[in-house]
Amino acid sequence: MKFFEWKGHRFIGFVVRLYLAYIFIYASIHKIIHPDSFAVDVATYQILPQSLVNIFAVTLPYVEIGAGLMLLVGFKIRQGALLVCLMMVMFLMALVIALAKGLNMSCGCFASQGVEEDPISFLTVLRDLAWLLLGVYVLIFDESFLSIDALLRRRR
Amino acid sequence: MSSEGLASRDAKKIVFEAFLFAVGFSALGVVVNLVRSDGIPLVPRAPIEIFVPCKEVSGEVKVLDPSDSLVFSEETFLIDAREKEAYEEWHISGAKNIPFDYLEGVDDAEVREIVRSSKKFVVVYGDGQDPDSGEQLAKELAGKGIRNVHFVKGGAKALRFRQ
Repeated sequence: MKFFEWKGHRFIGFVVRLYLAYIFIYASIHKIIHPDSFAVDVATYQILPQSLVNIFAVTLPYVEIGAGLMLLVGFKIRQGALLVCLMMVMFLMALVIALAKGLNMSCGCFASQGVEEDPISFLTVLRDLAWLLLGVYVLIFDESFLSIDALLRRRR
Repeated sequence: MSSEGLASRDAKKIVFEAFLFAVGFSALGVVVNLVRSDGIPLVPRAPIEIFVPCKEVSGEVKVLDPSDSLVFSEETFLIDAREKEAYEEWHISGAKNIPFDYLEGVDDAEVREIVRSSKKFVVVYGDGQDPDSGEQLAKELAGKGIRNVHFVKGGAKALRFRQ
């Protein structure tokens, strides 16, 4: 199929990869520095039982930064993209549930802002959906341009 | 091996490795949290306090003078928005007590009762303070789709004075 073989994917995939890497690394920093605030954000969604909130708040930011770094340096790109996609699906589900419950709350996606600065809305869902699609794009089309994966492949 | 077989094997490998990376990064998070001085307990020692403000539901309401005949009309569903103690101390005969709460909205069952009453008007009186609980409750009811909602200016104090 011509679309799958298009050479442009090589460059677009690279740009999208770096963009997603930036988003995920940036999103994880505040959560890593302030796990207590992020735990409150997680609890506010009222999805997880409270006994699991802290362990989730402690581990998720490291998966985010790990996946982000994998995409940034191009190491195991598809595995990193898969992690990004799975996290985006999880975030989308949480957002939809919170919106369905009518919770008037902050997204907690990047930093613990107040509901006035960062409220969840239909637009937040659209934004996350766009990032999920970009993750899927990298998963399918990335050709390891300027990446450790490409270097390792050449050495073999 | 066919190309489909290879692709399937690659996909399984990608999923498996992604899983391993997720476990590894999570373990790193737990270890860092244990080591750092401001780490949080993995299981909360006390319930995490969360505050989610209710979405403001507000609609158009009309102001009534305490002497307006609509307050005592047969076609009016009369509501006392004050606390239960104040209601028990004094209220207009026939008024239903629905205490206004800034944090918790009106119960849906109460809204249904008002709608089912088939009264033409809803009149709410509150404590008459600033802000007036009667006005707040009236706006909330109007915001929930109830029509012809009024509140009594000056609230219970003004009504008691008029009586």
